[in-house]
Amino acid sequence: MKLSDLLTEDLMVLELNGSSRDEVMEELLDRLDKTGVLSDRDQFKRDLYAREEHGSTGIGFGIAIPHGKSAGVREPRVVFGRKPSGVEWDSMDGEPARLVFMIAVPEEQAGEEHLRILQALSRRLIDDTFRQALLEAEDRKKVKALIESMEPGRK
Amino acid sequence: MNMKLLAVTSCPNGIAHTYMAAEKLAKAAEEAGIDIKVETQGSIGAENVLTEEEIETADGIILAVDKSIEMDRFEGKRVLTCAVSDAIHKPGELIRRFESGDVSVHRSRKEDSEKPGISQTIRIHKKGRAQNPVYRSLMNGVSYMIPFVVVGGLLIALSLGLGGEPGAKGLVVPDHSFWAPILKVGEAAFTFMVPILAGFIAVSIADRPGLAPGMIGGYIAADGSFYGSEAGAGFIGGILAGFIAGYIARWIKSLPVPRVLQPIMPILVIPLAASILVGLLFIFVLGAPIASLMEGLTQFLQGMQGSSKVLLALILGAMIAFDMGGPVNKVAFLFGAAMIAEGQTFIMGAIAAAICTPPLGMGLASLLARSKYQPEEQEAGKAALAMGFVGITEGAIPFAAGDPLRVIPGIMAGSMTAATVAMLSGVTDNVPHGGPIVAAVQAVGNVPMFFVAIAAGTVVTALLVNVLKKPVQTK
Repeated sequence: MKLSDLLTEDLMVLELNGSSRDEVMEELLDRLDKTGVLSDRDQFKRDLYAREEHGSTGIGFGIAIPHGKSAGVREPRVVFGRKPSGVEWDSMDGEPARLVFMIAVPEEQAGEEHLRILQALSRRLIDDTFRQALLEAEDRKKVKALIESMEPGRK
Repeated sequence: MNMKLLAVTSCPNGIAHTYMAAEKLAKAAEEAGIDIKVETQGSIGAENVLTEEEIETADGIILAVDKSIEMDRFEGKRVLTCAVSDAIHKPGELIRRFESGDVSVHRSRKEDSEKPGISQTIRIHKKGRAQNPVYRSLMNGVSYMIPFVVVGGLLIALSLGLGGEPGAKGLVVPDHSFWAPILKVGEAAFTFMVPILAGFIAVSIADRPGLAPGMIGGYIAADGSFYGSEAGAGFIGGILAGFIAGYIARWIKSLPVPRVLQPIMPILVIPLAASILVGLLFIFVLGAPIASLMEGLTQFLQGMQGSSKVLLALILGAMIAFDMGGPVNKVAFLFGAAMIAEGQTFIMGAIAAAICTPPLGMGLASLLARSKYQPEEQEAGKAALAMGFVGITEGAIPFAAGDPLRVIPGIMAGSMTAATVAMLSGVTDNVPHGGPIVAAVQAVGNVPMFFVAIAAGTVVTALLVNVLKKPVQTK
């Protein structure tokens, strides 16, 4: 399993339409639901918001990573959405989110490979140049190439 | 020395923030030139887990946690607790707070932590204990070695004591005997003694990557055939190997490497490179001097024949106790064995008495002054008594390896005493073996004085070592 198996081309939204956190959430949820990996869209949405309540997932540096481990998810997936002008996400550093990674993890999943991949993604997002490259990628092919360039970077 | 920090990151879901925080802390520490290790408690479970040893030596601990974690292991350390988001956003600031000393010591009892004076003294006490890393490395090696010495020593003692028969080659357990396989198991345990000692000395210096180079180095040090010597370098060589391996591994660890290589550093690159370096160093640099040292000492002893008996006894006693199974000990022992063939059994008589006083003396010492010995050393002391009875000098190695500068002079003095008393009173031994057991198999002439010599050496060892040794600092 690789990150590109979790974040497939049909899960990339290079121009998000929504201009608020809630709109973006819906948009990404719709995209995810279309691929059929959600068994219960509402359940997953509740779990996503529960996590936001606990503390915003707008981690700063223009990134938000709404995520949930949820019974409403069948298969682990990542949806990537981009909003060059930014979306208010109640970030810790006050910056709007320009890159949004919605991470869906099933409640029960054999193995931990998907968790390792998400761990690698999280670690990689700290890297300025990686973020910049994601923002500048012209098309899905470019994004895909960037994602595939990711080392299985464990320390 | 660089400041050494540890951190634990943990968030409720354990999917993303835990690892981002870990990454940020690692980067900020790298920029500040500080060593850091970050344990992540995420959905995969705890990874990169902090060891007790690391916590003990760390200057401080950052807990970037949004859920409660187990705190007991950080008792008495400087602990900074913060939110995961703080680690993501201001990792540099967190690290600077340690540099400026702005972090208090974690005490589970509240009232203590509110009195800075008390925390201060605790910290100073801790510092005092942390001051001598060499001693701590030695004790780490010794504590892992003790079970091997005890198992090996007791099995060998048992099989020699109950199944040994005197012969030209010393006490031998006949092949058909029930005790032969027991002896073999015991000898197997002894084979691990020096490698384990060296391995865990190296681990205390370089963590897990030090284990393989340390053990391999220790094995080579203990086996003279690697460098054309009749005897290996003994436990002193093992200590040397452990420190060399540890420092080499730590040095390689500190080299900057490309990120791609990092995952294979601790399991491949560091052990491989350090093992080769340590092995070659022993074979080509340290081996030759050990072999020529043995040759020189043998010639020296042969030249001593016919000179003052007291002087010879003092020298033999000192040599037997000095490295207990190492090259110096071997030379003296082989000299005594060779002299039996020439009919000069009084030389082996002196050696037989000297052989058993280090373990007997340390066993007695650990019974007399319990406060000066760790609990595991007290157990090793009882086993040492049994080993002393059958002449296994190695029983004292755990004590000597843990505190060489105080213990080795003590056991040398004891063995010198025993050898001199035996020599002057004409004790003889016609079997190349030592300890009370050779009297039990009727190989000794003048048995009463043989025991007087052993008793004198044992008491001198115990008293002198206990005068020299400092009380154990309690944990």
